[in-house]
Amino acid sequence: MANIDAKEYSTKPSTTKSRLSWLWSEYSVIIAFIVIFIASAILNPRFMDLNNQLNILMQVSIIGIIAMGMTVVMLSGGIDLSVGSVLALAGVISVLALNASGSILVGIFTALLVGSFAGFLNGLMVAKGRIASFIATLGMMAGARSIALYIADGGSVSGEVAGFTAISNSDLWIFDVPVIIFLAMTAAVFVIMHKTRFGRYVYALGSNEKAALLSAIRVDRIKIGVYTLIGSLVGIAAVIETSRLNSISSSSSGAQYELDAIAAVIIGGTRMTGGRGKIIGTLFGVLILGILNNMMNLMNVSPYLQGFVKGLIIIIAVVFQKRE
Amino acid sequence: MTDNPFMTMKNIDKSFNGVPVLKNVSLKVEKGEIHALLGENGAGKSTLMNILGGVHLPDNGSVYIDGEQVKMLNPRISQEQGISFIHQELNVVADLKVYENMFLGSEIRNKVGFLKVEEMCRETHDVMATLGVDIDPKEYVRNLDTSYKQLIEIAKALLRKSRLIIMDEPTTSLAEHEVNRLFELMRSLKQSGVSIIYISHKLKEIKTVCDSYTVLRDGELVGTGSMERENPETITKLMVGKAISQERYVHENPFGPVIMEVKNLTSEGLFNDINFTLQQGEILGFTGLAGDGRTELFESLFGYRKKYSGEVRINGELVKIDHPRKALKAGIGFVPKNRKENAIIKDLSVIHNMSLSSMGNFESSGFLRDNLEKERFQYYKDALNIKVHNPQITIDKLSGGNQQKVVIAKWLEANTDILIFDNPTQGIDVGAKQEIYQEIVTLSEQGKAVIVLSSEAPEIIKICHSINVMYQGEITARFDGKSANEEEIMQYATGSKREAKKIG
Repeated sequence: MANIDAKEYSTKPSTTKSRLSWLWSEYSVIIAFIVIFIASAILNPRFMDLNNQLNILMQVSIIGIIAMGMTVVMLSGGIDLSVGSVLALAGVISVLALNASGSILVGIFTALLVGSFAGFLNGLMVAKGRIASFIATLGMMAGARSIALYIADGGSVSGEVAGFTAISNSDLWIFDVPVIIFLAMTAAVFVIMHKTRFGRYVYALGSNEKAALLSAIRVDRIKIGVYTLIGSLVGIAAVIETSRLNSISSSSSGAQYELDAIAAVIIGGTRMTGGRGKIIGTLFGVLILGILNNMMNLMNVSPYLQGFVKGLIIIIAVVFQKRE
Repeated sequence: MTDNPFMTMKNIDKSFNGVPVLKNVSLKVEKGEIHALLGENGAGKSTLMNILGGVHLPDNGSVYIDGEQVKMLNPRISQEQGISFIHQELNVVADLKVYENMFLGSEIRNKVGFLKVEEMCRETHDVMATLGVDIDPKEYVRNLDTSYKQLIEIAKALLRKSRLIIMDEPTTSLAEHEVNRLFELMRSLKQSGVSIIYISHKLKEIKTVCDSYTVLRDGELVGTGSMERENPETITKLMVGKAISQERYVHENPFGPVIMEVKNLTSEGLFNDINFTLQQGEILGFTGLAGDGRTELFESLFGYRKKYSGEVRINGELVKIDHPRKALKAGIGFVPKNRKENAIIKDLSVIHNMSLSSMGNFESSGFLRDNLEKERFQYYKDALNIKVHNPQITIDKLSGGNQQKVVIAKWLEANTDILIFDNPTQGIDVGAKQEIYQEIVTLSEQGKAVIVLSSEAPEIIKICHSINVMYQGEITARFDGKSANEEEIMQYATGSKREAKKIG
């Protein structure tokens, strides 16, 4: 009854101040990245070393690939806690398939299949079973880890096929292959989210699920698609993880990857409740986490304290984004 | 009337953002009377009651309790004066026990701070006894009927020693026998000297239980007096007003073949045995009061609700619609009510909101083409006169009328043969309203079949060829748009009249 319609949008931001605040709200994570980058360069001269830079990229590539999927899940208004466990499960099964078949391709394909199937199950639980994503993927987290442990009898499994380690341990020009895969996945997810109807639907559903449904969008299928997508990205990450040391541990591989991936997405400015956020933001979120880890190692910060710094950064990032 | 009323509101003025909502309204409630407050949606009833409840401050005018002026600065002051507000949506916590609800926020505690459960239970029991009901104070509220939940609200009001209870449409969610129980209760409260302000649309109920009435229309007081001397027809006339423009937008264009046929559509507790047919070029109106089931009916037809039985034929073919996507494929578009919750995606840009239901139109080899979307939006921007400077901004920055036009553009782009509009002019200004009426009429002239749902009878009369009136989930009357008048519609909508024979 009270007339509270928003005023007509007619005045464009024109003053320098409002332009700056627009810049900040749109690109705060990039600005933060630049600040941290410059600060790191000043604090430690070794940081700028090209090898160190490439090393950072290599270290973030696995989390980075997962974080891209996590961005999509969180844009849809959900969350996926099972990524670390599914990575271990996909890794263990793919190594078994690799050793049994002797074919690298079969190994890769198996990892992708296991990852996307686990994701598909998550999607089914969330979309059709109407279970909160937090709960559904929490269940998957426990379940997938347990099956991985059972299959590997609690230990590690190692590849016995020559050439499998080449995936993670060879370069193209100056870049390691995992870095290239990471950047390629970032580009792919970017295109999916901004150039296809699937991406548009994910944003719509995360922003207002009811309105999306009433706009004749197959909300259930989109949700299943979102979890299957992150599942297959986890499968790719599993291949890289396994190939790096030619082995995967059923107990420790992938542990806490979900936290790092979620942290990267949050730092990248994606809203927890969905509907708003950017793939590019997550890319810089991943890089910020990578630089922080790297700097703490370079400056000999106790590994026990590194979690504290990371936690602090996440909270600061969210506090700043609240100001919108 | 006696000279010392319990509560008087004098010459209240109130406006929001420069739009006057109440103009010089006065209201007088005697001790121990049930006073009906009447008016159409938007007449200013809620605003008036919110001023009494201390939620809003009046721009002008004053409130007197027992002859003394009281400044209702906040809800607490109002409560201290003995005024309780029972809202349409009941404010009980289902997961707490009865006595916990009764004492929520004002628990009785001992010196250490522990709760005195037994004392609270005893007091609850006593109050319930005065109301003539026997509920176990330790029962969980979720296990009780709706009418008992209402009782808890009333008992809470009594417990706080309320002398004036405001009830906002209390019977909408009650069954008939529960309504009777509520009325008995209201009468016994009256006997004990409690005053009641009763807000309702249902004239029949008002006639049975109220002593006096006040009617508001467009923020102005248009009538007040004793109930006995009035009959429902005159009150309806007061509510509706005579000075409404009867100019109809719709022309008698020839209809095409039947496009949609609905038979025996029923959904338990929502709507019952609905039959109608819709022809190409026809604008069919559905009206009624809140809770008449029309929104649920069309949400079902659009596939948003799945639990219904009955036959739906589109172009003669039997269809089973259990998802909005299937409705779209069958050729049905739906502009829902409550735009903010149901229609707009506030984080998407204006353009993206427009294209959302027909993404296929903007794709080539699987990828979206921004320039196609832009071009298309430009077309609708001109066609529907959408006022937006930069269509890349998010849609929530637009005014209500422009948002609604974007939603309409979305469905025009989906190009369905049937378009359903639920409350299409909700919360938008007069100018945009006219434009939307005009657009609806134009659509029908282009041969589309249109269904318009609205609780505002004048709106329905203006733009519909024929009108269905719904009451408690059933179609109770059917009018030709030319001959329909608002008073008659109101009588069927309020249930005071029913067409004798089963229609359809």
